[in-house]
Amino acid sequence: MPKMTFVERDGTHREVDAPLGLSVLEVAHKHGVDLEGACEGSLACSTCHVVIDAEWFNKLTPPTEDEEDMLDLAFGLEETSRLGCQIVIDEALDGLVVKLPAGTRNAQG
Amino acid sequence: MIYLDNHATTPCDPRVIEAMLPWFTTRFGNAGSVEHALGREAAEAVETARGHVARLIGAAATEIVFTSGATESNNLAIKGAARFAQSVGDGRRRIVTLATEHHAVLDCVTDLAGEGFEPVILPVGRDGLLAPDVLAEALRLPTLLVSIMAVNNEIGVIQDLPLLGALVKEAGAAFHVDAAQAAGRVPLDVSAARADLVSLSAHKMYGPKGIGALYVRRRPRMRLLPLLSGGGQERGLRPGTLPVPMIVAMGEAARLALAEGGADAERLGRQADRLLALLRAAVPGLTLNGHAERRVAGNLNLTFPQRAAVDILQASPGLCLSTSSACTTSADGGVGPSHVLTAIGLSPAEARRSLRIGLGRFTSGQDVEAAATHLAAASQPQVASAAE
Repeated sequence: MPKMTFVERDGTHREVDAPLGLSVLEVAHKHGVDLEGACEGSLACSTCHVVIDAEWFNKLTPPTEDEEDMLDLAFGLEETSRLGCQIVIDEALDGLVVKLPAGTRNAQG
Repeated sequence: MIYLDNHATTPCDPRVIEAMLPWFTTRFGNAGSVEHALGREAAEAVETARGHVARLIGAAATEIVFTSGATESNNLAIKGAARFAQSVGDGRRRIVTLATEHHAVLDCVTDLAGEGFEPVILPVGRDGLLAPDVLAEALRLPTLLVSIMAVNNEIGVIQDLPLLGALVKEAGAAFHVDAAQAAGRVPLDVSAARADLVSLSAHKMYGPKGIGALYVRRRPRMRLLPLLSGGGQERGLRPGTLPVPMIVAMGEAARLALAEGGADAERLGRQADRLLALLRAAVPGLTLNGHAERRVAGNLNLTFPQRAAVDILQASPGLCLSTSSACTTSADGGVGPSHVLTAIGLSPAEARRSLRIGLGRFTSGQDVEAAATHLAAASQPQVASAAE
């Protein structure tokens, strides 16, 4: 099974199992990682905002317009920001590293 | 009275006013009031207008953000792009622009020095155009943003945006274009220009003052930090209740510009050629400033051989035209030598003998003939008054 690493807000690295077909948001929830996901992956908020490790960013499928629209509203956006719900684990993402941002803002208002 | 100052502002086209008026009275809804019919109707009118503005520059409607005018659009584009880049840890600080830009661009760029950015002001040639190798040299250092105007507001020269934009994108910088004087006068296409941000103004294209727009590229996404905090209008980039009548007016102005701009330009080109020929015949030593061909139709920036421009204007009370950009006329009414004319190599004395003429949609053939007669007479020394 692929593995991935969450870098927590205090800098702690947590390597966890990342089952194929689950999104990064689902992997986080499965392991109790503090990633909100207020809209449960329906692309209606930006609370599952994660910052992808620079080495991994260009290996991901580029974001859709709808994801970019939600990222526009994310708090503390960085150059390699993505939404966790839109990244689905496959074999190529074995070893993926993502960082939790400093804070979130729920775009559902 | 003959109006020859269409680079300062243009009159509203009567069709624009007609389209706008109902949105002040019977159809006064807030475009944000989506719960009721009056609000939804206003929102639809805004989206229709957004589409017209987008089509004028080859953009998608979702890429248009309405603002109060080109000055605000320039501020939002330049400061917004710089501050966003800084907020995501982008280490680049260089912002490149031209010596002949409008003050709304130049001052934004130089003001950003106070926030740790590095302004770079490039010279232009005697013809007013930016040489590609001058830009390429500046782009050898990592650059965040380049801002280049499409059409100059004083000498009317048209920069080669596709050529310059390609250099900017090769260098990985963002590209902002101030198209306030270009929209509706010359064909504009955001893809051909490789532009990420384009500033537009309604009152330079026969719409009202107080409304403008900023094109913000969506793919790849161009991100900005907004200047204002507030409600989430305009994708959060420009919060504030939308001025529906003004937006409808800008949309109609853009629609007319797209439909009629080509024919307007042909006619204005012939009128400007005629005016220049008449003046050259009457005033030996008259010179045309800026590139003779790569200029917007209807613009003539002329240096007279003998009299100061302010004296020529005083002797021609029936003509409305200006010595330089109205936007740089100082609060006390004094006019300094134009920074554009000195940037293309004119001496301050020559700049003071220069007039900017901007013909427009409502300039008639008779206006041109009469203006030539008045200006020819007024430009001779010792003439008390030549115009009625």
